[in-house]
Amino acid sequence: MECSAHNKKCSGIKSWLFTTDHKKIAVMYLTVSLVVFVLALALAAVMKIEHWSGGKDIIDAKTYNVFFTIHGAGMILWWIIPVFTGFFANLLVPLMIGSRDVAFPRLNALSFWFFVAATVMAVLALVTPGRLDIGWTGYPPYSLQSGSNLSLYVFAVHMLGASSLASAVNFITTIITMRAPGMTWGRLNLTIWGIFGANIIQLFGIPVLAGAVTLLLFDKYLGTNFYNAAMGGSSMLYQHLFWFYAHPAVYVVALPAFGVISEIVSTFSRKKIYGYTSMAIAIMVITFLGFDVWIHHLFTKGVEDWARIVQSLLTIMIGVPTGIKVFNWLATMHQGKIEFRSPMLYAVGFITMFVIGGVTGVGNGLISIDLHVHDTWWLVAHFHFVLSLAMTTVAFAGIYYWFPKFTGRLYNERLANISFWFILIGAIFAFGPLFEVGLKGMPRRYWAYPHEFTGPFRVSVVGGYILIIGFLLTLINIIRSAFKGERTTANPWNAKSLEWTIPSPPPHYNFEEIPVITEGPYEFGKK
Amino acid sequence: MTNEKTTSHSIKHHEAELSVWPPMVGLSSLLMIFGFMIAFQWKLPSMGMLVGGAGVVMLIISLFGWTSEVYKSSFEAGLSKTAIIVFILSEVALFGGLFGGYLYNMFPAPEWPPINTPKDVPPLGTALILSVFLLSSSWTIHKAEAHLEEGNTGGFKGWLFLTILLGGIFLIGQAVEWSSLIHEGFNVSTNSFGTFFYTITGFHGSHVLVGIILQVFILIIASRGRINRERPTIVRACGYYWHFVDGLWLLVLSLIYVLPSY
Ligand code: HEM
Ligand SMILES: [Cu+2]
Repeated sequence: MECSAHNKKCSGIKSWLFTTDHKKIAVMYLTVSLVVFVLALALAAVMKIEHWSGGKDIIDAKTYNVFFTIHGAGMILWWIIPVFTGFFANLLVPLMIGSRDVAFPRLNALSFWFFVAATVMAVLALVTPGRLDIGWTGYPPYSLQSGSNLSLYVFAVHMLGASSLASAVNFITTIITMRAPGMTWGRLNLTIWGIFGANIIQLFGIPVLAGAVTLLLFDKYLGTNFYNAAMGGSSMLYQHLFWFYAHPAVYVVALPAFGVISEIVSTFSRKKIYGYTSMAIAIMVITFLGFDVWIHHLFTKGVEDWARIVQSLLTIMIGVPTGIKVFNWLATMHQGKIEFRSPMLYAVGFITMFVIGGVTGVGNGLISIDLHVHDTWWLVAHFHFVLSLAMTTVAFAGIYYWFPKFTGRLYNERLANISFWFILIGAIFAFGPLFEVGLKGMPRRYWAYPHEFTGPFRVSVVGGYILIIGFLLTLINIIRSAFKGERTTANPWNAKSLEWTIPSPPPHYNFEEIPVITEGPYEFGKK
Repeated sequence: MTNEKTTSHSIKHHEAELSVWPPMVGLSSLLMIFGFMIAFQWKLPSMGMLVGGAGVVMLIISLFGWTSEVYKSSFEAGLSKTAIIVFILSEVALFGGLFGGYLYNMFPAPEWPPINTPKDVPPLGTALILSVFLLSSSWTIHKAEAHLEEGNTGGFKGWLFLTILLGGIFLIGQAVEWSSLIHEGFNVSTNSFGTFFYTITGFHGSHVLVGIILQVFILIIASRGRINRERPTIVRACGYYWHFVDGLWLLVLSLIYVLPSY
């Protein structure tokens, strides 16, 4: 089926359902991700009310367990990973490397539909009998014994896995083979480097995760003994396989996010990004080093000392390339003509949260500290800062930054800025107090808590609601502006990279003529 | 490569393409999963078979629809060669995880295979015979590709058919081996060696099966005249995959069959 520019088939529902256009697929990814994001936020809102007092407020323990399971899985596997590997990758890769689409447009559409299939299962997991209460991690033996419908969990992961694998193959092939003439590796946007690294991680990590959960399925329904210690298996095997993927998964998010921040910082400082080469190298170093640190999740679980010490050191070492990035951003801003448009504000907010989360993360990497804070509210606070909130902030920054490009309209600047301050202040109050609660030894994943923690928990509840309002303001902004925003031009930010040279929104073939590239994406100062 | 790249850039296609097949494949996967869930979680096997079966039928129809759509366009960019190599890397990770798990279980075990394993398990002799068939099929598919390159489509089809035959013999042999082992009382639940034995040989076998299906598929479209010298990409990709599956067998053989025998 085909449709030409003035054909009726090009608009209307069919043009979305059956599309193979990377830009439309990107928007569909964003839509599904945002729907799950809102759902997961709603679950968090209920959990927060439950924490108003130490005892029962509105839900029971079982429901609390189901809620944090779906909240965690939804936020990680449907929101924060796909918004980068689905939305940003689809929108930006062809536009930034100068091609008309990805290598395999139909396969790309299939990735999206697998993602939708997985979403259907996630929703079923919340509402059908045998609700999942196994945590987003699904550790055996509990997951095998809890009476929840494990098959939903496993198949949802399979579908997500198939989707991500197909995308990984697609985008790696695209970046290797479809760059425009003159688009050398040294002229790629850092976002493309980040997406490249992220997809390499997906490529090697996802099959291991898919394997781990498949064995879970076999143990539960076919009588195998992988995780059954009584028959010579080992439940620790699951944790190793799971974290072999799930730790690098944070870089699947972080590497593209680093790229997005680099674009924004460079554009709004009107300066070339400082240390381009070191940034690209840092991205690739993290891609591979990320696979050698998973044991920091297992420090308390009886792993041999030599493995713990080696991986503790490596964990700390990852802080080095990460630190380099923070310094490079600061150096880029230094003496730049900084313009605090919303994306830039979000970028700076990200750096703040990331530093809080990163510093506490170095603490977690040290075995002696981790033994104390493992599985406490400290950890919940740490990863909400470094992953959940910091990366969500980047996602918002990027959505605002490219909003004119993919919709052809401007977002509402004032609303965006108000939303930002709600998010930053909300984050600090929502999760700051939980560091203290965790340090004092209160374990995570509990619906109730002892009286002495009432103070910090209540602060956290109020902060949580401020945060949720902040998120919702951005959502309102996105939806309203997509339909009613002011029309804009091809390059409202006066940015230098390739995607801004074509109209907003781009025609479906992107480039009238495939461009010939002669310089890098951050050449400010030169006219 | 460079050549193909420039052509793909200079082609002007100002037509946005639509395809019904990706969402259809997505839907069929959902049906198959519901089939499993209905049968195993909700214990309604016949209902599950029905739903799952509908999914399988839909999948097959969609895949044929998909390829005929791809072959309608007269142009081939040859990108799948890169893609299949990337994909094979992910398969390496999958089997890396399985083998890693196997060794992780084996090393601390006081005895391997554990004591309650029947005497002649694993059956090394059968495995060696089967290896001969599988490994020689790497050579036959190579011959097939060489014939295609020379433009000899008949020779290509002949050698491809031989490859399918050899792969088929391997799979049948393995099925026979499995059923005789299960008769001896060695199954997935016997102990962790049984668990890993069936899973790893099963995963490998399923890859052989996928390879064979792909080859049969190529044979079908080749007999409709769609494969020739100018459009060899799918054959190339299939060849890479098949060599990988064969190489993988050497690892399965040494870790699952040879290692426990000593
Ligand atoms: C308003 C924002 C949010 C609030 C108030 C919130 C609150 C919570 C709460 C109360 C828990 C349960 C902790 C426990 O009992 O151990 C939790 C867990 C979790 N949250 Fe959030 N969250 C928010 C946003 C996010 C975001 C944006 C992400 C990710 C992108 C995220 C990822 C997670 C994960 C992975 C878990 C762990 C689930 C598990 O233990 O299995 N959260 N969150
Ligand atoms: Cu980690």
